[in-house]
Amino acid sequence: MSDRMEDSAILRAQGLAVGYDGAPLVSGIDLAVAAHGVVTLVGPNGAGKSTLLKTVAGLLAPVGGAVWLSGRPLEQLDPHERALELSVMLTDRLRTELLTCADVVEMGRYPHTGRMGVPTSTDLAKVREAMQTTRVWDLRDKDFMQLSDGQRQRVMLARAICQEPRLLVLDEPTSYLDVHYQIELLAVLRELVETRGVGVLMSLHELPLVWKVSDWVVCMKDGVITAQGTPQEMCAPEVIDELFDLEPGTFDPLTGMIDLRK
Amino acid sequence: MGDRTLTDDLGRRARRTRTAAVLAGLAFLVLATAVANLCHGSVVVPVRELGAILFGGLRTGTNAQVIWSIRLPRLIAAGLLGGALALAGLLLQTFFGNPIAGPYILGISSGAKLAVATTMIVVVGRAAMTASWMLVSAAFVGSVAAMACVLVASRRTSSASGLIVVGVMIGYICSALTDFLVTFASDTHIVNLRSWSMGSFSGTSWTDVQVMAALVLPASACVFALSKPLAAYQMGEGYAQTVGVNARRFRLALIVLSSLLAGCVTAFAGPISFVGIAVPHVAKRLLKTSRPLVVVPACFLGGALFCLVCDLIARSVFAPNEVSVSAVTALFGAPVVIAMLVGRQRRRYER
Repeated sequence: MSDRMEDSAILRAQGLAVGYDGAPLVSGIDLAVAAHGVVTLVGPNGAGKSTLLKTVAGLLAPVGGAVWLSGRPLEQLDPHERALELSVMLTDRLRTELLTCADVVEMGRYPHTGRMGVPTSTDLAKVREAMQTTRVWDLRDKDFMQLSDGQRQRVMLARAICQEPRLLVLDEPTSYLDVHYQIELLAVLRELVETRGVGVLMSLHELPLVWKVSDWVVCMKDGVITAQGTPQEMCAPEVIDELFDLEPGTFDPLTGMIDLRK
Repeated sequence: MGDRTLTDDLGRRARRTRTAAVLAGLAFLVLATAVANLCHGSVVVPVRELGAILFGGLRTGTNAQVIWSIRLPRLIAAGLLGGALALAGLLLQTFFGNPIAGPYILGISSGAKLAVATTMIVVVGRAAMTASWMLVSAAFVGSVAAMACVLVASRRTSSASGLIVVGVMIGYICSALTDFLVTFASDTHIVNLRSWSMGSFSGTSWTDVQVMAALVLPASACVFALSKPLAAYQMGEGYAQTVGVNARRFRLALIVLSSLLAGCVTAFAGPISFVGIAVPHVAKRLLKTSRPLVVVPACFLGGALFCLVCDLIARSVFAPNEVSVSAVTALFGAPVVIAMLVGRQRRRYER
């Protein structure tokens, strides 16, 4: 393989296998995330979505295959270079001690600050902008541990945004949010994608939202990618019934409506 | 809307004032306690005479002798080693994400104690004096070995209490082995060992002070230089890696520095408990933040202050008898840990 591929995609995976301790959980992953693109992973619990996201983020070593970030093989990037390319929001619960929300968000400026990590006024402006984007600016002086789960999630998203990456990697970014903030978060993502040209790779459980926000949908199940395509192609009931082992007619993927008559 | 408003918006100015006040207050208290430590004791030296002895070139007389060859080295030792302990505690707490991790609780001090006791018995048997660098090296090796055990165990237990239990058990094992060794050692060694293994700053020589300053000061500077990755590590290793911390290199630096600091203390003063847990906790509450950039200097000053006060108490409460300094630090430090755990529990229920 050549070191640098001429490639418009921010992220490209070819024959990638991901898993723990060298044992593949999901293999044969081929996917690409372009600038201005939102790629969403859907599939049942345990399908390996988080494992794939962690591998892409550099937290797990790939078990096989290859990943390129902006045309460079992922394993050739050092942590600092990787941090300039992508930022991450995980599902791990964060426990902080005496840190305000602004402190937590400011951590996203890490790759941009100097030796001692003292933020410049530019850094502070970026912190503020990111916090205003995710509607948490009013919480800036509050202790992070005193927030509700939904507020924390928005703070963590602000943190990921103010890192100013080319690619956002988000693991179930809407899991603790109510409908209002789910919609708002996805609107924020679309805005970032369209105005700043970032790419987004995320996992999402709420199917009706998936069709709205995504440019490309990847279905994962039983250690493989079962199907991928545009939301229009993937929202077909046959695809979703197959993916989640549903009785035909019990679930409408477009509206999320459930039918329990049987 | 200028930089001014922005800075104020993030509460930075109020914070800066608070930080300055806390650091200045701690520095003042360290100085005041230092004077008290120098003046107070079996021979009381008046403050005016102290000035003359320290800065006026008054080098003769009993008082000058007491200050220069006994109290001053002991004072510097208590300050440096107290600061070292507090920093070692802060590093371990950040690394394990556990507020009651510390060199004593995790068995690292006991590992160092075992290695030092072995060296004392084996080497002292042959040579008349044990060189301080030899004890420090032994303590470092013992610390690293105990730390390695804790690390291996921490990989297998994910719970915070599991880590502490493992550490306490390692501490017991090392203490038991030390006790076996003491049983087989000859009488003169035991006298040496016993006073040291209880924890004490007494009998510090200027050579000791030189060695500890040469180790503790650069190591503390390194800890301060690591403020930025330490801050990122507060969010957990995963997030730290994704913002650009080289986890492997940082982990290595942390293990070496905390073992060096904790080992150095054990080599010179024996195992001293609770400084490493209580001081960082109180320092963070005083500063109302856990940002390492300000917490690191506050911890060093706080650790120095805590040990100076405890040493003063240890040698004056039952004068002319000396209590072990570890007993005093435990007496003041352990309640802080209890208060911390109780406070944490209450907050959890309130939510």
